[in-house]
Amino acid sequence: MNSYHDPELDDVLQDEEVRRIASVLSSVRMPEPPLDEAFRTGLRRQLMNEAWAMTEGRTSWWRRAFAPPGLAWAGAAAGLLLITSVVVFYALQRPGGFSTTIVATSPLDGNRSVALEQPILVAFNQPMDHPSTEHAVQITPATNVTFGWRANTLSVQPTGGTLAPNTQYQVTIGPGAKTASGKPLSTPQTITFVTKTPTTPTATPTPRPTPASALGEKQVAGLGGATRLSAQWSSDSSSVYYIDGHGALNVVPARGGAVTTIAPDGASSPALSPTGDRLAYIRAGKVEVLTFASGKTEELSLRPAPTLVGWAQDRIIWAAVDGFYTQADDGSGHQVAALPATGSITVLSIAPDGGHAIYRQGQNLFILDFAGGKSAQLGPPGAAFETWSPGGSQLIYSTVDKVVVSDTQGVTQSTLPAGDAAWSSQDAILIGGDTDIFQTRPDGTNLGRIASGTFHSPLWAPNGSAFAFVRGGALWTATAPALPPEPTSLDEASAVIDNFMKARLAGQSDQAGAYLDANGKAAYASGGPRLVITGDPSFTRYYVLTAEITGSQPDTARFVVRLVLSHGKLDVSDQEEILTLVRDVTSKQFMIDQAAAGAHRDLGKGAEVVSIDVQADTVRVTFDSDLNPATVTDGVTVLDAKGKRLEATASYANRVVTVSGLNLKQGDSYRLAVLTSLLDVSGQNVAAEYDLDFVGPTIKKHPNHKEDVTASPSPSPSPSPTPA
Amino acid sequence: MSDPSRDDERELVEHAKRDPRQFGTLYDRHFQQIYRFVYSRVREQTAAEDVTSEVFMKALKAMPRYQDTGRPFAAWLYQIAVNAIADRYRSLRTAQPLDDFHDLSVAGPALEDLAAHRDEVRRVWALVEALPHQQRTALVLKFQEDMKIEDIAVAMAKSPGAVKLLIHRGVTKLREAADTLRPVE
Repeated sequence: MNSYHDPELDDVLQDEEVRRIASVLSSVRMPEPPLDEAFRTGLRRQLMNEAWAMTEGRTSWWRRAFAPPGLAWAGAAAGLLLITSVVVFYALQRPGGFSTTIVATSPLDGNRSVALEQPILVAFNQPMDHPSTEHAVQITPATNVTFGWRANTLSVQPTGGTLAPNTQYQVTIGPGAKTASGKPLSTPQTITFVTKTPTTPTATPTPRPTPASALGEKQVAGLGGATRLSAQWSSDSSSVYYIDGHGALNVVPARGGAVTTIAPDGASSPALSPTGDRLAYIRAGKVEVLTFASGKTEELSLRPAPTLVGWAQDRIIWAAVDGFYTQADDGSGHQVAALPATGSITVLSIAPDGGHAIYRQGQNLFILDFAGGKSAQLGPPGAAFETWSPGGSQLIYSTVDKVVVSDTQGVTQSTLPAGDAAWSSQDAILIGGDTDIFQTRPDGTNLGRIASGTFHSPLWAPNGSAFAFVRGGALWTATAPALPPEPTSLDEASAVIDNFMKARLAGQSDQAGAYLDANGKAAYASGGPRLVITGDPSFTRYYVLTAEITGSQPDTARFVVRLVLSHGKLDVSDQEEILTLVRDVTSKQFMIDQAAAGAHRDLGKGAEVVSIDVQADTVRVTFDSDLNPATVTDGVTVLDAKGKRLEATASYANRVVTVSGLNLKQGDSYRLAVLTSLLDVSGQNVAAEYDLDFVGPTIKKHPNHKEDVTASPSPSPSPSPTPA
Repeated sequence: MSDPSRDDERELVEHAKRDPRQFGTLYDRHFQQIYRFVYSRVREQTAAEDVTSEVFMKALKAMPRYQDTGRPFAAWLYQIAVNAIADRYRSLRTAQPLDDFHDLSVAGPALEDLAAHRDEVRRVWALVEALPHQQRTALVLKFQEDMKIEDIAVAMAKSPGAVKLLIHRGVTKLREAADTLRPVE
């Protein structure tokens, strides 16, 4: 049995039994403990409050106002300066001068991109009476808040934990506020700011313990002289099945630990079944199939004799000297495709979907399509097969100076740096070599070196995070950092909307027009919405209320964008536009194809919808105000195309109304209706019914994906070694 | 050569030293591992939350004084955590069965005698719980958190040699106490 090996502890763990116990200790994987997400976010908020207070203590208000991050604070600084100038002027006009005047400042004032987690901080120039000051705080839109004090700074925190997105807040310290000595605030002071659009959370890798090296590389077993990796991961990514240089099939925990031998010699071509419950391999001219649940091995005497084994869904498929076979019901071999009858042929790999195979004929590499029986050459003579994409619709081969991503017709899709390649279930490609390992997307984007060192024959685990590789004649495991998520169609369409709206905001009609196709240009030219908005109130900001992918072939997206109009620094009204974007077949870019003007509303008259998220079974509607929960069920409804109210349950928490229990059909038309019976916490009702039309959601899919990538076992291994 | 992830971390730490409001990124990066480590020692969610809060609050307040010694920032957080747990340890005792905590499916699906292996793992970790506090901490940081000896030394405020000695003594005691343990295969 293998025992624990760690170079750091070689000198203290010399006894075999001690090492064995160390091996037991290191073989235990700690599951993630129970975690209340509210605790994690609550603690973060607490820390940020503390951090703000620390900053307060370190610098004077004017230094803070002008300190980095510079540009972001420029607006706040201007606001501060204005307020302070007014106060100073006002103070100097009065007997007693500056020292008797109450000054309230906030770094948020004038800021038009305030983070939602940000507490509202108001700094006074002298000690204040807490109860009267808190009582004098008025906030619009209506928001339940809690108060905290640190020295002379008041921290106002929404009880929901965060501010509402896309919302202009006005926080007024009314005349009821008094100083600690009882002097009243003579003039109300108002802080105005606008919150950010929330960013969509992206998948992040689970934090792991600080690794001993950049990727947490760990030697887990010797390979007994094998220089290439012939291996498969278990479907749960916990262990690696590998064939060593003596032809033994072994399994070792990915974190290191005891090596268990499954077949002592003569094994080759390990292949995990797509469901991950069985492992097939060739031994002594026969295929053996190990079923994990029972631990039993079944021996299959297949004819003609197998040289390589793989899986086609649930069935064994094998290569023989003259072609590829599956087992007929009577046990005999049924040929699914023939190999060329001439030349020296070596079969290298069967695709994970059992639809193609790679073979070498002389110096040339070929892919054989089982369905048509035709072969296509891959690359120049001397090209070597590397790996399949997870679904088997693409593959990678290498030449002397590069790695090529090819489709199954042999057409090059992209070219990557030279090395040993592996393709993960998350569409990340590793390229390892003698001195480095790189990670990239299949199209070559996000290419970057992730570590230095020898990384030969990388093989991804199904979890798309861990991988095995060969270094110094041994099997190692490591963990690769996650690549940034690929942009979805919705991301691409959102970028177009963003650029289009920014150009309009800057009054640049030519630049804005570049995002319109012929239909889009006609929509803005024919008395519909105005491309450039001038006059007072002025167009000062915009935000996306809802965004959906509504079709494919071509990709189509629908956005409802809200344009906010301001008079002075106050937002007074908004105007919606419904924009439809279609992906251009030639440029592959989204263009705005349709535009229609939607609702125009005056602001400050009851709760306002600021964000809508549509899922097949749920519609989440975020308001700018805290609501009276008793009015939510009748106040927020979803209607079908005939105007019939859908059966659903409405629940409410932290300004968000969640309408659940829906069964929205892809592409069907629906309407969200917010009725005048909806009240905010201050008792103000919605001034006029608000309707928003939307369509049932479709599956979000990346345009470059040729296949639906699912978490399946890793593709069949790189060229299998000659049986020992 | 320079390690990109360490360079990135150094930059984050420098930012947070200059402006404590940047500490949020370090918190996001290290919360999970510190919480998991704390939970592994106190075995109770509320207590783990209390200690984790204490760790990060202390770290934030001490940020301006933090000195980069070339070791990962996490080693420093672990050091604060080890001390915070030690402060609390007298009043907290293990109550949860080990099965609830250790995932014992360790060596691939049903390829070996898992029952016997599980039993061994359970017994070994039960013995760990009976070790002196510092030996136990060293074993957890090494074998569960996969930390380098030098980082454990930072976390435990000891020399690397002292950490190795703790691990050696800990594992040796386990061997002595586990006479009846049998090899897995």
